[in-house]
Amino acid sequence: MKNIFKQTGVLVLILLFSMASSTTVNAQTNDQELTYVKVEVKGLACPFCAYGLEKKLKEVDGVKTIKIDVEEGLAYLTVLKSKKPLKEMLEKIVTDAGFTPSSIVFSEKPFTLKDEN
Amino acid sequence: MKISIHIISFFLGLLVISGCSENKKKKQEATNWKFSKEIPLGNVSPIGIVAQINFLWLSDVSNNCIVKIDLDGRVIESFDGFQRPMHIAIQEDKIYVPEYTSDTVKIIDNESVSTLELKENTDAIAGIAVDGNTIAVADFYNHRIIFQQEDKVTIIGKVGYNDGELYYPTDVAIKNDLIYVADAYNNRVQVFDFTGKYIRIIGWNENIKVATGLKVTDTQVIIADFEGNRILIYDLNGNLLQIISGKFNQPTDIEIVSNKMYVVNYKGSSISVFYK
Repeated sequence: MKNIFKQTGVLVLILLFSMASSTTVNAQTNDQELTYVKVEVKGLACPFCAYGLEKKLKEVDGVKTIKIDVEEGLAYLTVLKSKKPLKEMLEKIVTDAGFTPSSIVFSEKPFTLKDEN
Repeated sequence: MKISIHIISFFLGLLVISGCSENKKKKQEATNWKFSKEIPLGNVSPIGIVAQINFLWLSDVSNNCIVKIDLDGRVIESFDGFQRPMHIAIQEDKIYVPEYTSDTVKIIDNESVSTLELKENTDAIAGIAVDGNTIAVADFYNHRIIFQQEDKVTIIGKVGYNDGELYYPTDVAIKNDLIYVADAYNNRVQVFDFTGKYIRIIGWNENIKVATGLKVTDTQVIIADFEGNRILIYDLNGNLLQIISGKFNQPTDIEIVSNKMYVVNYKGSSISVFYK
């Protein structure tokens, strides 16, 4: 009887360990699957403009997060690497949202944001 | 002798005219808004404001919530989970919240939140006005106003810079069978009737830099000049009555209750209060 408890306990431990490992692996994989984009925008003056641009950028396939820095006129995107958007497509979205794109930079590492809000 | 009488009459006339002008000036001063105080709002990034007797409601666009505060700025209640709430409206203690991102209008009624059905698709609802069963919403990216009376929908305005055309409208009000639109990036307010017919422009001569918000009372139209950091007050025909400056930091909306005017400052995260 004791052996059965021992065996069950070991099995549960193995199961928990494998689940934890798999979560870590997935998290690592997720990090590796992301591309970071910084879009510099001219004319991003008011909250209606800023959140309008956010609304339009949200429609980009594969976008995970968007942060807008109104003061600096910057939009930061986190995008799935497998769905990395074309620069021209982002330029069109920015233009359609009523702004002029200054520069678009892609990076494998996250950008440092001045304000996390 | 006759000449003396004429001279005396002339000076008496001047005296009467100057007296009238002084009275008019005094009367004007009595109707002017005067600064009272500033209420800091801490972490709140306000866009819209509406009032109940002893409370103010604010839309907090950065934090995606609607905040109820007392008249000293203390937070009484907060409703979370909105998607970029903009210019709100109030009717019978119900708060109407346009969501910029989701293109829906939510209604806060006591503790519950429901969704208002719009009969036309929108792209970024920046403001809403409610008058009985009549609703007007500012459809920002489509450069138009959706005017909904029961099942009847009237589209007001189209993109452009001419009379009757709109360029990124951000706020709307309904008053005495007229629709007032904050025609934000045309730097003016435009007035339409319920059929969508253009009536007049207000604020064209004052070099407004982004007319983001407005309040219409029984006698006045008040405009928030976002980049100009001013509040401009007109009569209903568009005659300028007063300009207030030096007290704002990117004002977005105005509310009046109990003879006090409350102006929300987006960048300043505060409310500027005025009295008469």
